[in-house]
Amino acid sequence: MQLMSKTLVVCGALACAGLVHAADIKIGVAEALTGGAAQYGVTIRNGFQLAADEINAKGGINGNKIQLVIEDEQGKKEEGINVFKKLIFQDKVLMIFGPTLSNSMFAAGPVANAAKVVVFGTSNTANGITDIGPYVFRNSVMESDVLPVTVAAATKQYKLQKVAVIYGNDDAFTKSGYDVFKKVLEEQKLPVTTTETYVKGDVDFKAQLTKIKASAPDAVICSCLAEEAANIILQARGLGIKAPFIGGNGFNSPKLFEISKLAGDGTFVGSPWANTNPAPVNKAFVAEYQKKYNAEPNQFAAQAYDALYIAAAALKDVKLSGDLNADREALKNALPKVAINGVTGPFKFRPAKTKDGKPGGWDADQKPFIYVVQGGKFALHDAK
Amino acid sequence: MMDWLPGNFSDFWSTYSTLVFSVGVHALLALSIWLTLSCGLLSLANAAFMGIGAYVSALLTLHLEWSFGTVLLAGGIAPAVVALIIGAPVLRLSGVYLAMATLAFGEVVRITVLNLEITGGPEGLNGIPLATEGWHIALLLALTVYGLARLRRSKVGRAFEAIKEDEVAARLMGVDVDRYKLLAFVLGGFIAGIAGALNAHFTFFISPREYGFENAVDILTMAVLGGTSGLVGPMLGASILTLLPELLRSLHDFRSLVNGAILVLVVLFLPKGIWEPRRIRNWLNRNKGKPA
Repeated sequence: MQLMSKTLVVCGALACAGLVHAADIKIGVAEALTGGAAQYGVTIRNGFQLAADEINAKGGINGNKIQLVIEDEQGKKEEGINVFKKLIFQDKVLMIFGPTLSNSMFAAGPVANAAKVVVFGTSNTANGITDIGPYVFRNSVMESDVLPVTVAAATKQYKLQKVAVIYGNDDAFTKSGYDVFKKVLEEQKLPVTTTETYVKGDVDFKAQLTKIKASAPDAVICSCLAEEAANIILQARGLGIKAPFIGGNGFNSPKLFEISKLAGDGTFVGSPWANTNPAPVNKAFVAEYQKKYNAEPNQFAAQAYDALYIAAAALKDVKLSGDLNADREALKNALPKVAINGVTGPFKFRPAKTKDGKPGGWDADQKPFIYVVQGGKFALHDAK
Repeated sequence: MMDWLPGNFSDFWSTYSTLVFSVGVHALLALSIWLTLSCGLLSLANAAFMGIGAYVSALLTLHLEWSFGTVLLAGGIAPAVVALIIGAPVLRLSGVYLAMATLAFGEVVRITVLNLEITGGPEGLNGIPLATEGWHIALLLALTVYGLARLRRSKVGRAFEAIKEDEVAARLMGVDVDRYKLLAFVLGGFIAGIAGALNAHFTFFISPREYGFENAVDILTMAVLGGTSGLVGPMLGASILTLLPELLRSLHDFRSLVNGAILVLVVLFLPKGIWEPRRIRNWLNRNKGKPA
């Protein structure tokens, strides 16, 4: 019995400790910090922390400090739902950033939307995410916005007549990338010589590449993840394919071109963020990130960093009443009006076009950066 | 702790309802594999059966808008029919060979789903409406437990037991071994399919990767961890494996480590599972013997 009362006292003390920060703005961050998607989730969390520390150091938003409630959703759909519910109903956060993967968003997004809580994805590129409902936002640029620009730039540069395509057909990300490429190639009237597929975990692509070589394309379009892409590029050069590559979002990895060395030169990649973007805000971000985490930032960290600044810009115009439901609603109404110039360039929202015409969420309205790989490094081909 | 007070119950339920649903669905899955194990069959096809149930039910809901009851039933019948078809050849195998064959079947299902248009391929199906409610799961779990408990005490249950202990002896006693094995396999598929259908209708989204090898092993782990000597074991194992990661959430970075360590310790010290009536009875008797 005595133990029981002691526990109660401790619980009470903890609850009081929570009340001290009552003026804080609680924001949930649900990312995959362990498991297969952790490589993205951890950098995303770093981006959020960096932005939160900067905003708080400058005095917060209208005097209120941002308090991030960070939870691990492991990249699994059930975990995603559990974490979202915990953040919404127990931690009572104002809004949620995340989750890392589009799959988790399809599962957890409806929970937030039903609870009328803003959910803001920074790394969910799949089609249909913002169909979930009006409380769903994202600043991750969809493949369907990036790839047309990439293909057009490469076509202009190399005067492409015909291209070959290779993609992984058992992965949601590479398959949806391929679907977009296919549509883009039809729209830009670029004939395809051959379309080859592989499955996750393959290491030998010579059979597919031999067919591609025989079809003599001017370029090879590759909707692949970085793991497979390195082997594909190296083996293509080994077989004597000289055509340049055009990559999707999966090519957005400096590591890939470290591994493939000069073999990857001439590759065209589109990205929502450019490491070498000379804008002062981006230079400061890269330097600060490096100082804090002793590592190079990537696209995911940059988008997370921008996302918090977008939310902060919206919160500046919101008078927090202390009534959680009203505040959540006010934030939802304020977000679409935000336009900032972040590390990923000028950003604003555009209303999503949903399949069934119901009111949907908000997609990113942003132009991508186009890179050309030179000497194993990304070089900006065309500034925005 | 405060969450248990009545005033905060709705908060508690809003936060943890999905977790409670998951416990129920995992318990059904663990019971489905317990059924085949109780007949001496090491079948790892249950994740695939769950997947068939999930996809069939989700497609019926999305495209034909059937009522949830019929959808659930279809979600159970579809994998049961598949089990009936593949059962005859596959169940001629035993031991690890059966495990391998059923694993291969699981891969066939996964790759088929991956390459069909109607299943959405690797991108899965999203936008499945929320239809599962707490009482659906509670009722179906209760029915399953009741049914299996009755089955155990019946002629069929005794036949399963006999086949598990010694197949040759059972055959000599006049037990139709092949037919009973097929029955266990089909019933297991039916339960797993219903679990899959229930799961699909509260997680909004399904994709082929949820029904692969790892999940087959997860389901087996639940049954083995809890103990396969009775019906309580698999349900206990399912509850522990589902709740443990959530209870350990406060440990943050050490969560997976502690979770794994607990499982290793259980397997090391309780090789027959947590719920083993004989061991518990012995332990109780020993305590009784001591002077108070």
